Amino acid sequence: MLELKDVYGGYGKITILNGVSFTIPKASITTVIGPNGAGKSTVFKAVFGLLNIHSGQVLLDGQDVTRASPAQMIAHGVTYVPQGRNVIPQLSVRHNLELGGVTSSDQARVRQRIDEVMDQFPALRQRQNQKAIELSGGQQKQLEIARSLILDPKLILIDEPSIGLSPNLVQEVFATLQRLRDNGVTVLMVEQNAKAALAMSDYGLVLELGQTRMHERAATLLADPRVGHLFLGGAIEAPAG
Amino acid sequence: MSQFLQVFLSGLSTGSIYALAAIGFTLLWQAAQTVNFAQGEFVMLPAFFVLIGIHWLHLPLWLSLIFGLIVAVIVLGLLFKKVVVEPMLPNGGLPLIIATMALSILLKEGTKQFYGAEAQPFPNIFPQTTMTLDGAVISVQDIMNLVVSLGVVVGLTLFLNRTRTGRCMQATAQNPEVAEILGVNVKRMVLYTFLVNAALAALASFLISPIYLAKFSNGETLGLVAFIAAIVGGFNQIRGALVGGLLIGVLDNLTATYVTTEYRAALPLVMLIVIILWRPQGLLGTSEGRQV
Repeated sequence: MLELKDVYGGYGKITILNGVSFTIPKASITTVIGPNGAGKSTVFKAVFGLLNIHSGQVLLDGQDVTRASPAQMIAHGVTYVPQGRNVIPQLSVRHNLELGGVTSSDQARVRQRIDEVMDQFPALRQRQNQKAIELSGGQQKQLEIARSLILDPKLILIDEPSIGLSPNLVQEVFATLQRLRDNGVTVLMVEQNAKAALAMSDYGLVLELGQTRMHERAATLLADPRVGHLFLGGAIEAPAG
Repeated sequence: MSQFLQVFLSGLSTGSIYALAAIGFTLLWQAAQTVNFAQGEFVMLPAFFVLIGIHWLHLPLWLSLIFGLIVAVIVLGLLFKKVVVEPMLPNGGLPLIIATMALSILLKEGTKQFYGAEAQPFPNIFPQTTMTLDGAVISVQDIMNLVVSLGVVVGLTLFLNRTRTGRCMQATAQNPEVAEILGVNVKRMVLYTFLVNAALAALASFLISPIYLAKFSNGETLGLVAFIAAIVGGFNQIRGALVGGLLIGVLDNLTATYVTTEYRAALPLVMLIVIILWRPQGLLGTSEGRQV
């Protein structure tokens, strides 16, 4: 579905990604974990066309989308939910959702999708005329996720969805992502809450120093002592032999 | 009472023209972090474009106004963004502010050299007749200036709130990174903001010049008043700039009539100091973010 081949990239001349390679299958959830500075968020930005890819390739369903702009990635069916709060604060919930379909020429379809998405997020329907800034932190994150669904994406890149959310809301967000996966959407997620994220994911990807260190089924990674070691601040040692 | 009404309406009329310049000032700040210290000259110059249309190209007034508007949008919108703002903005806000100050001097002195230092008569757009309202003699020009200015502000507000492009402009102003992630053409939206500012400045120029005449130094006062109106109203709100402009226009007229004309020029500055001390975010401003 999404394949990165030996991607080098970063901010200006500073290289953060030092040859990242992985492939994630369709209709799956893959969680990217790794220590601070590993390049987790940078991978998303590189895929979504928000920073320079110096070399390497990004393939989406076999099609080369390396250095595609964000608008082009959206046209390819990819949406991105960055970390932090990313609503347009003074616009209403409904207008925020409309912006999720701003690139579409079929605005009737966008309105229909807004209705469908609000069915999935009833709290947003109740508050559709309120300004986004007036929503709670959890509702704002729901709004961001809902907005990313307006164009029926086939791949969602979601960065740290649990930041600032209560444990209950984190479970709600994870359940939403699982529902999307069950409906055929592919999810690539960065998450600090690694154990909980891996527990609900199909695959796990460990990045360190801008390189792919491990790429396994999530359950395998959870059981791997080296992963625990990594999150205690150490580096992954190459397997013996 | 009739005199008060007369003075009040006249102040509203002038204030609504100030508001147009102040709103443009606010829009540029919101969408492009550009504090334009040449805004006064942006209001001064389009009147001269119209005079060029009339005297040099021998166009009728209505066509000269269209010509002036188009040239203003190109020169003060497109070229200002491409030639001044885009090269300077990556170096930070301060170099850009200094650049707009330099531009202000360039436009003012350039106009003086090109068209002369004498105030030029500017044709009236509206009839120079009066009407009586509750015993007060009201100038039709004042009423029309008020109607046109407020109509444009209402139209602009509807455009920003009710159209997809308007909401994209708001998204760009409030959170450009997210706007880009959603596929909004951020560069185009910023350009639209510059064009809207130039059009507002041109309109203000066409409305104020029959009263003040067209003079190279008009921008000194207009720029200062627009800046103060934007801050007094709240730098992050269109309606704030509107209120700020109207307030300055009305207070200026009332002070001149009932107190003294001697300190008239000082009034906006006093108002600025009082508002900043009392309510730093401005009368209608909010402290949480930027908005167009």
